[in-house]
Amino acid sequence: MYHFYLIESLGGRAGFGIAQDFKERNKQYCSHAGGIVNMHVYSGLRAHAKALERTIKTQYIDNLWIIEDWKTEWLNDDIPMSTLKEYVDNLIKERHFRLQLISSNYNFQQELP
Amino acid sequence: MTFKFKYEDVTKKPNPMVKINPLKRGSGKTVSLQDRVDTLNKSAAWKKTIKAWTTQGKQFDLTRLPKVSMEKLGSIEIDEDIQRALDDKHCANRIADPDLFDPALLQTAQCIKTSEGKFISIDSQHTVSTVAALIDAGLVPNNTDWREFQFPFQYIETDNLAYARRAFSILNGKGKKKQSAYQQMRNSIFIVRIDKDKSDQEDVDLEKKVSIAEKYECFPVESDSDLAKYPGTFTNIATFKTLSDDEVTQSCEWHNKYFHYENVHVSLFFVFRDLCRQFGSAKIKLTPKLQEELAAMVQSCFGNLSQFQESVTEAHRRWTVQRYGYQAAWDDDAYACALIQLYQHFGGKEKVAPTLLDHFDGLIEFFDQDILNLAE
Repeated sequence: MYHFYLIESLGGRAGFGIAQDFKERNKQYCSHAGGIVNMHVYSGLRAHAKALERTIKTQYIDNLWIIEDWKTEWLNDDIPMSTLKEYVDNLIKERHFRLQLISSNYNFQQELP
Repeated sequence: MTFKFKYEDVTKKPNPMVKINPLKRGSGKTVSLQDRVDTLNKSAAWKKTIKAWTTQGKQFDLTRLPKVSMEKLGSIEIDEDIQRALDDKHCANRIADPDLFDPALLQTAQCIKTSEGKFISIDSQHTVSTVAALIDAGLVPNNTDWREFQFPFQYIETDNLAYARRAFSILNGKGKKKQSAYQQMRNSIFIVRIDKDKSDQEDVDLEKKVSIAEKYECFPVESDSDLAKYPGTFTNIATFKTLSDDEVTQSCEWHNKYFHYENVHVSLFFVFRDLCRQFGSAKIKLTPKLQEELAAMVQSCFGNLSQFQESVTEAHRRWTVQRYGYQAAWDDDAYACALIQLYQHFGGKEKVAPTLLDHFDGLIEFFDQDILNLAE
């Protein structure tokens, strides 16, 4: 199983990524941010998680937050998490990606069944 | 075992590239040099260079500007330690091709002029050799002695041969911004589409190939273009050009039917090139059913061809390590072989070219288990 996630920074910036171990990834975000950050976690085929991530990077290329020349996996200020989440849910549905939302507002303190 | 996957339709949306495709017609726009100066003045890289000139106290030396004059061809010498050996085929088939030759397109003779008044060629030996030989052949009216023929020379006055050697490298690529494959292709397309000039068969053939791709909403774009975010775009021009018209048709039609919402991944061209050629040799039809089932498999297992490429590359790496004990170089033939072998693994029943099953035998066992498990 592989995972695609959406994450919101403590400042409200929406971001995304992929990980095999999403609990570990969440710990890393929390450690860097100095606080609890929550994720929407989707689970499924590794190739589909990566295809979804690549699609966002391509279609949102004009809306990625850029630090100097580095295109990050965060979006510009004016795109809220609700917009990104709706976009991702639509992509999964329209393109039949084998990914399922397994948790909203997940952080490492929670145990998933 | 029945085939495991069914292609699920993805709603087709209007592709913006149909309207904004830059190859459809030229921009029809010319800009002044001022526009380009303004662009440079705003550029961070340019500002940095100007700062470096200022810091170093460097200034433009007007005496070093190249000079241009009409000189006799007989006054030129070719230093064989600087210029390459003469390529007779280049003179015969490219420069002097009777269907293409036009004196207006000849380049000036690039030389250095020594203090003894000798002109030493640093570039354009093929041009001057061709012109001299055409006179020698009696094909230049009113000129019988090529040595006396006046030709435009561009030269720099120096006795320094190291300078000449460096100049040769610069004029032949090093230090010169080369045309990209896309720019070269765009020129060919515009010669046919805008200038309506069909005198060069290569231009005509390439334009036809691009027209076929466009018919199926597939569009070549520059590799760093802003347009590369739109569906149907592709940047690997070199591979595209190796396909026959039929292979372009089959690949682009398949992309437009099943993956119209994605960029064209370069593996598409390798897959269809090999499917068409191997199925063709075996006299087996690439049936619509097979094409749809392949699309269903790519969609279900990988999401798209880009992820198929990642998976097959990794499987190939593992396969070569297992078989040969080291990681062998990637082989583009593996795309089609892996696809057809996976097709049979998942219960595909359509007839396939046997050569695609023999080559890279056992490759699919090295795909990720979560993909192979989809057969269960």
